Amino acid sequence: MISTGLFLGFFALLLIGVPISVALGLAGTGAIFAAKLGILAVPTNVYAGIAKYPLLTIPMFVFAGTIFERSGVAQKLVRFATALIGRGPGSLAVIAIVVAMMMGGISGSGPAIAAAVTGVMAPSMLRAGYPSAFTAGIIAAAAATDILIPPSVALIIYSVLVPSAPATAMFAAGVIPGTLAGLALILPTWWLARRHGFGANATGEPRPPFWSSFRDAFLGLFAKVLILGGLRFGFFTPTEAAVVAVVYGLFLGIVIYRTLSWRDIYQMMVESAEISAIILTVVALASVFGWAMSTLSIIDPIAQGITQLGLNQYGVMALLIVLLIVVGTFLDGVSTFIILLPLLIPIAQTYHWDLVWFGVILTLKIAIGQFTPPMAVNLMVSCRITGARIEATVPWVGWLILTMLLTLALVIAFPALALWLPHYLNLN
Amino acid sequence: MTPPELSSPTAQPRVSLKIEEFLAALALGLVALITFANVLIRYFSDLSFAFTEEVSVCLMVIMTFLGASVAVVRNHHMRISFLADRLPALWQRRASIFSLLMIHVMFLILAVSGALFAYDDFRFEVTSPALGLPQWIYTLWLPLLSLVVAGRAAGAALRLLRGPTP
Repeated sequence: MISTGLFLGFFALLLIGVPISVALGLAGTGAIFAAKLGILAVPTNVYAGIAKYPLLTIPMFVFAGTIFERSGVAQKLVRFATALIGRGPGSLAVIAIVVAMMMGGISGSGPAIAAAVTGVMAPSMLRAGYPSAFTAGIIAAAAATDILIPPSVALIIYSVLVPSAPATAMFAAGVIPGTLAGLALILPTWWLARRHGFGANATGEPRPPFWSSFRDAFLGLFAKVLILGGLRFGFFTPTEAAVVAVVYGLFLGIVIYRTLSWRDIYQMMVESAEISAIILTVVALASVFGWAMSTLSIIDPIAQGITQLGLNQYGVMALLIVLLIVVGTFLDGVSTFIILLPLLIPIAQTYHWDLVWFGVILTLKIAIGQFTPPMAVNLMVSCRITGARIEATVPWVGWLILTMLLTLALVIAFPALALWLPHYLNLN
Repeated sequence: MTPPELSSPTAQPRVSLKIEEFLAALALGLVALITFANVLIRYFSDLSFAFTEEVSVCLMVIMTFLGASVAVVRNHHMRISFLADRLPALWQRRASIFSLLMIHVMFLILAVSGALFAYDDFRFEVTSPALGLPQWIYTLWLPLLSLVVAGRAAGAALRLLRGPTP
């Protein structure tokens, strides 16, 4: 009775448009009231939910990402990628994907990246003759996929919630599947653009010089080397790696590129604090919901019900693919993990699935959901900027969903694709 | 993380939002400084600076509530607007007001219960694990800043109510 109320209350508030965090918090608080569990459980869980040292990584990476985005790294990556690939048919589309994925690795927020890359790439793509629906679709897909690429906030949240999957291992495990996912977006995009002759108008403009664009882009990409290398060799904890990236980004923006003023820096601090606060508010209030769920013993019956459906582990995996892609179309990766992991981890343990591998495939599923029409947030953002209708993106995005599903099938069939690198680096 | 172009413009609040913006940015800056100082000190000396972790964590909690307050006024909190956006204008406005009221209620509950929570830390003289400081100087921020968020939500709801009806 109370458990039904918990879920119904949550979904009703969610559908009306109440923030996800507050819908979780109010439903949880309501259940705590109804079951007379004591009001003090609410503030205790809110405080304990966010007063955790590993979560400090989130504001630091968000800050670093904002600095790299604002100091013009995206434009420099576009120039370098153009020098590398040229301006033939389809090349601008491929460049947009590569840049969205490289930026995502540095920042970690899908919709923000979708907005930034659409802003940088869409005008020249539309001029070069790409249809707006095609442009919006591929940028949304690339920005969705970046939650797989380290250092992503979704992977950090997963590692905070699943102690046996440390952040460094999750980052390493995301590298090969992330690269495969990138190829799964680039190949069909290239093929579609060539087949329909998109971007043929862009060949007239000159190619930027290789070495100067390489030097500019290299300084930006070096941040990634710094973060991942520092983590790999144990120089830094994830939080420290993030703060080193902040300092490096500020150095780049103020001294080398000279694109940042003190005013910009203050503005970026305000923005990063707000974005991190939005994520952490979900974390804080979701822990009230999570506590109510586990105290009322709601999770175990559901998890047992799923494992006793009489399906084998592949059947359960197929069920989870559908569930997570559907949830991923309307919730972001962070909220999905916080709400569903208490249910999903016991299921994974029943089948003795490796939790690092499990985290990677969950993230892949959510990534697919994040650009599946009609509700995906990334798609809404890129369509809003390019002026395309979401329905019009279906013929293009459909191909990308298909190849991403193939990538997911590959990682499910060959867990080594995710697990080889962390094992090789001795991270777990 | 609704990007700016998806949020609806609301009238400006009477108490400037710059207060929370400045304090949230300050908290973020302090966390970055402390963490970076930690890295430097660990590499150039044998001293451990690890006890600062609890200060950083408390600053992050403070930043969360201040940032949440800014996000309430700017309508930036993550939400599913798919259904609400398809309602007729009058009902859209009602849904927005209802949503703000729910935020107000949630943070009011947090302010009241959080006050009890911090008072328990004070009454039982709980001390912090690393620095041995009274725990209530950390937990006090939860009810205090929840009140700020609740106030911002109420203010935004009032502005919508008094504003032009569609």
